[in-house]
Amino acid sequence: MRILVIEDEPGIARFLKDGLEEEYFAVDLAFDGKSGLDMALLNEYDLLIVDWMIPGISGIEVCRQVRKAGIDVPLIFLTAKDALEDIVFGLDAGASDYIRKPFAFEELLARIRVQLRRNSPAGDQLTAGRLSVNPVTHQVFCGTGEIMLTPKEFSLLEYLVRNKEKVCTRSRIIEHVWDIHFDSDTSVIDVYINFLRKKLDHAGCGNIIQTIRGVGYIIRES
Amino acid sequence: MPGIKKNRGFGRKHAGSVQEKPSLSLRSRIALYYTIATAILLALVFTLVFFTVERVVYSHFDDELDREVSEILEKQSHGRSDVWNFDISDDDSHSDEGGDHHHERGDDENRDEDDEEFVQLVSQTGKVIARSANLAGDTLTFQPGGQQKRFRSSTAGRLDVRQVQVPLADSKGKIEGYLLAAVPVRDAVTILGDLKQVLLLSYPAIILTLFILTRVIAGRSIRPVEEVIASAEKITRENLERRIPLPRNQDELYRLSATINALLERLQDAFQREKQFTSDASHELKTPLASLKGTLEVLVRKPREREHYEERIRFCLKELDRMSRLIDQLLVLARYESNGIKAHMESVDPGCHISEAIGRMHPHALQKNIPISFTGPESCMVSADPAMLDMIFENILSNAIKYSPSGSTVSVTLSNSTGSVLCSIVDNGIGIPEEKLSRVFERFYRVDESRSSGTGGFGLGLAIVKKLADLQQIAVTITSRTGTGTTIELRFSRHEKF
Repeated sequence: MRILVIEDEPGIARFLKDGLEEEYFAVDLAFDGKSGLDMALLNEYDLLIVDWMIPGISGIEVCRQVRKAGIDVPLIFLTAKDALEDIVFGLDAGASDYIRKPFAFEELLARIRVQLRRNSPAGDQLTAGRLSVNPVTHQVFCGTGEIMLTPKEFSLLEYLVRNKEKVCTRSRIIEHVWDIHFDSDTSVIDVYINFLRKKLDHAGCGNIIQTIRGVGYIIRES
Repeated sequence: MPGIKKNRGFGRKHAGSVQEKPSLSLRSRIALYYTIATAILLALVFTLVFFTVERVVYSHFDDELDREVSEILEKQSHGRSDVWNFDISDDDSHSDEGGDHHHERGDDENRDEDDEEFVQLVSQTGKVIARSANLAGDTLTFQPGGQQKRFRSSTAGRLDVRQVQVPLADSKGKIEGYLLAAVPVRDAVTILGDLKQVLLLSYPAIILTLFILTRVIAGRSIRPVEEVIASAEKITRENLERRIPLPRNQDELYRLSATINALLERLQDAFQREKQFTSDASHELKTPLASLKGTLEVLVRKPREREHYEERIRFCLKELDRMSRLIDQLLVLARYESNGIKAHMESVDPGCHISEAIGRMHPHALQKNIPISFTGPESCMVSADPAMLDMIFENILSNAIKYSPSGSTVSVTLSNSTGSVLCSIVDNGIGIPEEKLSRVFERFYRVDESRSSGTGGFGLGLAIVKKLADLQQIAVTITSRTGTGTTIELRFSRHEKF
């Protein structure tokens, strides 16, 4: 899951990146509205975290532009404003949620999960055949046996399971699982897919990841 | 007046919940005052009319009586010498009516009284000596005394008359008796009575009509006021941007509406500032808190390397420093904004304070490679509070350094001018857009709307400068051009003996 954080306050931006990456998210940072908007329009993110008051274009404007471009990505506002009308204004501008500074990191994580859950009605638990993935605890089970994965492996598997029955192209996988600092060499995906397949095979969930030659990978329910 | 009760009802209905005490509405009050004034005036006019008419009518009779009396007196003086020997028979009445006199008197309606005159002679004591035949059994009332001819209204039997009483004197001037002459005034009385009746009846009718009319007119003329009230009532804190529509005519109501609108403008502005202040203050206070809280929370989620901990703790300490600077500045403002604080004015040399402030700011200036120059006269004395002066210079210089690019210069000049000492601090920094200049002295105002922490300011420096300058009666002006730099001028009153 890839998140863009648009926040000019370096302290906040840094702990968000640290904390979110520890939660297996790929995190990009933008320190002003202009570059933030460009990144949001250019790349495909699973979630945006936008500070209201940022230099250049305000967070509200970023939100409007993103929505205008037809991007329906979940967007969480970070704001020190707490007047009711500000909150209503922000939500009306197209934000999915807001969180007031200072906030508890756990609360932010919970709100992020709420937003990501929007597309999967089953709740936090993701399943594909015998495989079940829990994004909250970062645990993966094949039947009842737990499979130990590295963060990157987990992220890759989570992305594929979230998009089960859909072909995940290599470029999309790169966009959603790796952050912007990763160079566009997609062969690293094959490496991680190999690791994943080995571990899944070992646990008895083999052949769940199928290769679509020249395009990418897919996880099928059966 | 019958209208008033109704009006009270009207007033209460409109004042309604706003006013507990029912009071007369404006339109009723206008109508009432107008009606009272008119009622008094009308009463005077009616009285005047009535008495004028009465006088005119009676003067006509009095002339007639005069003629009659002089006729009689003439006859007497030409004829016999005896005072009492009058010919009191009326020629006209004799010839016209003769012996039918009594009969005619019984039938009042048909008698032509204009031709009748009654004459009567009375002794000095009031005893009737003689009377004309047409008086029959009736006598003319006599009022004893009086040397002058006297006219008055009276009655003869059942008949209203106008009569005259003439004293009769002998050759020595001694009053021997009186000659009373009278004419009936029946028609005149009827006319006067009618007039009185008409006037008395029409008076309340006119007043009532007038009151109702005035109320309607007043109601119409204050309807625009009601409209103003109605639109003003609709304006609340939530829709302060609404304005009262201005009437077409540039009259008092136009001025009223324009004044209310101007008031709303100021109110909206004040609310806006207050909102901005709260929002800015909360941003300045909450951002470092959020940064601290988040950093520490993430830090304790997992065990980490010792270096990592140290680095993050150092960062937190920096954030805490920032917060305590903010709190210090807020406290300075709060202290000087409570009204009790006064500046301890004394004679000081601002040059010394400027040099000291430059010295204190030196490390920051050095960091950004910004030399601060200072030129000023040998010595010049102004009246100021030395502690406040230090704070003023420090804040201005700190701002100049903050908003200037590395390698630019900041210059401070002190100069004597007539009656005052001028200190200008000029930087070559980023400058302030003209439309924002007026707001830079507001607490927490920052030209950078994103309030980035990069420059390290909170937007309180100039607010503190302004506050302290005001306390010492130092005039602060700021001029700036974007990209060129900012100049702040402090005008001190020169130290005189005080």
